[in-house]
Amino acid sequence: MRRLWTVLAALATLSLTNCGYNVIQTNDEQVKSAWSEVLNQYQRRADLVPNLVNSVRGFAQQEKDVLLGVTNARAKVGSIQATPELVNDPGAFAKFQAAQGELTTALSKLLVVTENYPQLKSDALFHDLMSQLEGTENRITVARNRYIKAVQDYNVGIRTFPNNLTAMMFGYKEKANFTVDNEKEISTAPKVDFSPAPAPAK
Amino acid sequence: MIAARASLLALLVCWAFVALADVAVPPLSGRVVDQTGTLSAGDISSLTQTLRDLETRKGSQVAVLIVPTTAPETIEQYSIRAAEAWKIGRKKIDDGALLVVAKNDRKLRIEVGYGLEGSLTDATASRIIDEIIVPKFRSGDFAGGISAGVARIVAVIDGEKLPAPAPRQQSDSGSLNFDPLNPFFIIPVLLFGGLIRSLLGRLIGSVASGGLVALIAWYLFGSLLAAVLAGVIASIFVMFSDSITSSGRGSGWSGGAGGGSWSGGSSSSSDSGGFSGGGGSFGGGGASGSW
Repeated sequence: MRRLWTVLAALATLSLTNCGYNVIQTNDEQVKSAWSEVLNQYQRRADLVPNLVNSVRGFAQQEKDVLLGVTNARAKVGSIQATPELVNDPGAFAKFQAAQGELTTALSKLLVVTENYPQLKSDALFHDLMSQLEGTENRITVARNRYIKAVQDYNVGIRTFPNNLTAMMFGYKEKANFTVDNEKEISTAPKVDFSPAPAPAK
Repeated sequence: MIAARASLLALLVCWAFVALADVAVPPLSGRVVDQTGTLSAGDISSLTQTLRDLETRKGSQVAVLIVPTTAPETIEQYSIRAAEAWKIGRKKIDDGALLVVAKNDRKLRIEVGYGLEGSLTDATASRIIDEIIVPKFRSGDFAGGISAGVARIVAVIDGEKLPAPAPRQQSDSGSLNFDPLNPFFIIPVLLFGGLIRSLLGRLIGSVASGGLVALIAWYLFGSLLAAVLAGVIASIFVMFSDSITSSGRGSGWSGGAGGGSWSGGSSSSSDSGGFSGGGGSFGGGGASGSW
């Protein structure tokens, strides 16, 4: 009789923790909301691009290649369906990350080019757009960091014992995470070149 | 016997372990935290007064942090960490702003909370830095630069529509963050409960120890819900504890107790002396500059 009561008491207390089911749900929702925030900030950056391109074109219309590069990269980003389901599909996630990375590269090429146009740099509208772009890039970084943390909590939650049993039972898999592109490129130090840039074509 | 041990083992492995993170951000000792000694006491007190008046007027919280350097982090990384640690600005309204100056790095940043991004946009923050603060910093007038920048930030915030500040009141203890399965709670309860039980008998003993634990929890955490929950769980444990501890107290399972933590009880509202963050959150908005 006593043994029965003991087992019942232990089971009752165990049910308070649900052996992790609620924890998995909570973490899953946090990953979803962190991912929505990341998408939100990427969208904000994509929305800035047309204004930026127009403002630069006003002063530097001969830089056609670079401007076209930015516009194309933005179109590519817009064509990828960015949904909350991306976190569950590592292949699609990697494609999304690659497209955003291309936009980043195109934008930095554009910024390098604008260094040659002092008139552009002193334009107030361009200055505002630049600060908006920097702010958005920072927000993207913060959102990504929070997403990475949320995914880490979630993945750890479904991999540690005993919650991994619950996860296996209900079919919860690990979620996709951001990877560092071009790891090899980053690990070599960039070459700094102070030779004077070629004069801008007039 | 074996069932008791097995169920106890199952109980142990289901406990959550809470990790504590390191933060090298200085504690929020006041609205102006100057670790470099740049500002004089008079500067600090007049800045503090301006910021206190802003909070009384609008409810929004602004703070200033001056550090020698943020290396190896960039100032953006450090600012967001500081903002997340201090949590200035009201909860859910997120109307906080933080001016961070890294004196030796010659960099500064205005970190803006979600709720202020309407008026204190990235462009506005960038203008404040470039047009108001940096010229003064370049000529070596740090106190003047910071107070002019703060004045401009306050003016911008005054133009923003924010919910009215709440009248001063004692806040309640907020959400229940008392974890009843915490090992630091269970062990003393079982020991204590066993003692009471041997004095008063099984039923009365468990009820009595449950009631005592409820009283202690109510005193510590100020919340009736926590007290009732604690009392109920304690009396359940005490009722069945003899089948768990019969083979010798603490032998098998005290070693298994892990690093749980009390996550604080109630938080009191700030009054004359102390300044504490209101729980506001930040999204990485704002602007940086250098001189």
